[in-house]
Amino acid sequence: MTTRAASQVARTATAPRGASWIETLAAHIVFVLVVVFFLVPFVWLFTSAFDADAVAYIRLPAQPTLNNFVRIFTEHDFARAMANSVLVAGSTMVLDVVAVSLAGYSLSRLDWRFKSSITYAVLLLQTMPLSATMVPIYGLARALGLRNSYAGLILIHAAIELPFLIWLMKNFFDNVPRYLEEAAWLDGRSKLRALVEVVLPVARNGIGVVAGLSFLAAWAEVLMMIILIDSQDLKTVPLAFYETLRTQGGYVEVQYGLVAAMGVLYALPVMALFLVTRRMMVRGLVASSRGL
Amino acid sequence: MARVEYAEVSKRFPTQDREAVDHLSLDIADGEFLVLVGPSGCGKTTALRMLAGLEYPDRGDILIDGRSVIRLEPKDRDVALVFQSYALYPHMSVRDNIQYPLRVRQLSAAERLSKVEQVADLLGIRHLLPRRPAQLSGGEQQRVALARAIVREPRVFLMDEPLSNLDAKLRTHTRTELKALQKQLGVTTIFVTHDQAEAMTMGDRIAVLDAGRLQQLGTPDNVYQRPANLFVAQFIGSPPMNIVDARRDGEALVLTGGWRVDAPRGVAGSDGIKVGLRPEAIDLERAPAFGAQPAEVLVSEPLGSEVIVNVKLGDVLLKVRTGPDVRPDPGTRVFLRARPDGVRVFDASSGAALN
Repeated sequence: MTTRAASQVARTATAPRGASWIETLAAHIVFVLVVVFFLVPFVWLFTSAFDADAVAYIRLPAQPTLNNFVRIFTEHDFARAMANSVLVAGSTMVLDVVAVSLAGYSLSRLDWRFKSSITYAVLLLQTMPLSATMVPIYGLARALGLRNSYAGLILIHAAIELPFLIWLMKNFFDNVPRYLEEAAWLDGRSKLRALVEVVLPVARNGIGVVAGLSFLAAWAEVLMMIILIDSQDLKTVPLAFYETLRTQGGYVEVQYGLVAAMGVLYALPVMALFLVTRRMMVRGLVASSRGL
Repeated sequence: MARVEYAEVSKRFPTQDREAVDHLSLDIADGEFLVLVGPSGCGKTTALRMLAGLEYPDRGDILIDGRSVIRLEPKDRDVALVFQSYALYPHMSVRDNIQYPLRVRQLSAAERLSKVEQVADLLGIRHLLPRRPAQLSGGEQQRVALARAIVREPRVFLMDEPLSNLDAKLRTHTRTELKALQKQLGVTTIFVTHDQAEAMTMGDRIAVLDAGRLQQLGTPDNVYQRPANLFVAQFIGSPPMNIVDARRDGEALVLTGGWRVDAPRGVAGSDGIKVGLRPEAIDLERAPAFGAQPAEVLVSEPLGSEVIVNVKLGDVLLKVRTGPDVRPDPGTRVFLRARPDGVRVFDASSGAALN
């Protein structure tokens, strides 16, 4: 009886592995296809960036060259675009971290009237498509003189991401034990100092995630850049990109080599940022998903 | 060092249907070690947190050295709290944890250093100073939390079940140490626990709470020997006091099972009473004797230094504490005799002690 049961268990346990090598093979083929599908654009980006006459399909450069990179800096003022993007994304990040820390803390810890309604209202804001609010944002920016200004770009990008990040940060604060902060109060700290010295450092993974996501969002955003900026001096990378891609109604040929070179330089900083902070990001995102 | 008073303090949480703390009045003397003890949900932690400023009373007042503190922020009350979970700052070293309250008070680096080392030596944790809290055992974390409370020399120490996360052996050891330390420092201490043994061994006085109300306040001996009501009688003491239904018959009390014991002097009640007998207030005899009640042994529980003999008296189970060499087998017939000074009488409906 026992032996039979045991052998049955053994058979069940090995069944999926022994079931069929065809299934295993099929699974691997699917994985490979998916990976290839997502890798192809990057392969194109890197091969074309070093190709003197890049085309719209993948091919190895006949004569690898750095000429595309030289041209984007000399002919298209790409350094300025990069500097503008770094400034806008960096400032958005700082502003978001400060605002989100305070708002998230308030929603997580403080007691006030209508808190739960407002908490959900914040989430509702997140469901609003950006393109739906594009026109009023444009109107507001114009009325307030925020078009063609760093301040406008930074404020609007910071605001776009706020609802989601506030929720994310609220969740991180929810996971910081209340007694840590109470201990700091009893040790003689005011509530604000306790937040800065105890709660924020303990929730640093959350701050890292908020910083990373807000930087990335402002770095990659295109729509608002297009409607808010028409000054050459304020041009950011997405706009430089867009200009290079434009065919002026078919009168200009797309210079794929330049587009690819810009793409590489556009992607590298955020990839580097991710590599540096990946441990923090992963820990933070895992923690937040556990809480949600 | 300070005197602490609770004056008719009440607090109800919005989600609860009764007061968490109900008209609590306590007067704690300067340098006293007071233990708040009771089952979970009895309001002991809430009472402590109100003194710390982490909860606000709905009614009543809390005074430290005669001055009301209920309108003060926690930071301005000059009390230190050792949390059940220790609440060490995980991102700081042990040294930074201990000197955090000193940094807040803007002491110079040299002063901080000397105070931290002094308190680290007192608690034997100097070698832990460079470590992070996560690298410490539970007992070590507990010491660091204690050090952080001691180093700032507060007016009052508050301790919220600080021993409950330690293993049994370490808990007993720390209990002794903590009591000695408190006597050495002489700081008024309020200690919250659900463990009656902790309360008995540590407190100068203990306050027993149940359902938000103070049941009894007194020295451990007083509370143990003369419990104010049935709740205290059964909560304090291990094993707890035997409680048996009884009725009065002239000068005697007749317990369920027919056992007659002499009624203590001055007990008025006649009907609806219960008799309480501590396990050591019952003498167990092997041979029949005049006035001794026969009963049957159910099981004996040897504990090394003593034996708890469980006997059946009718359908009532009684626990009797005897010497280590008395180990009657199950089914043995034994004879019980109540010590006259150990008979406690309670009103069955209100639970209040009648003698």
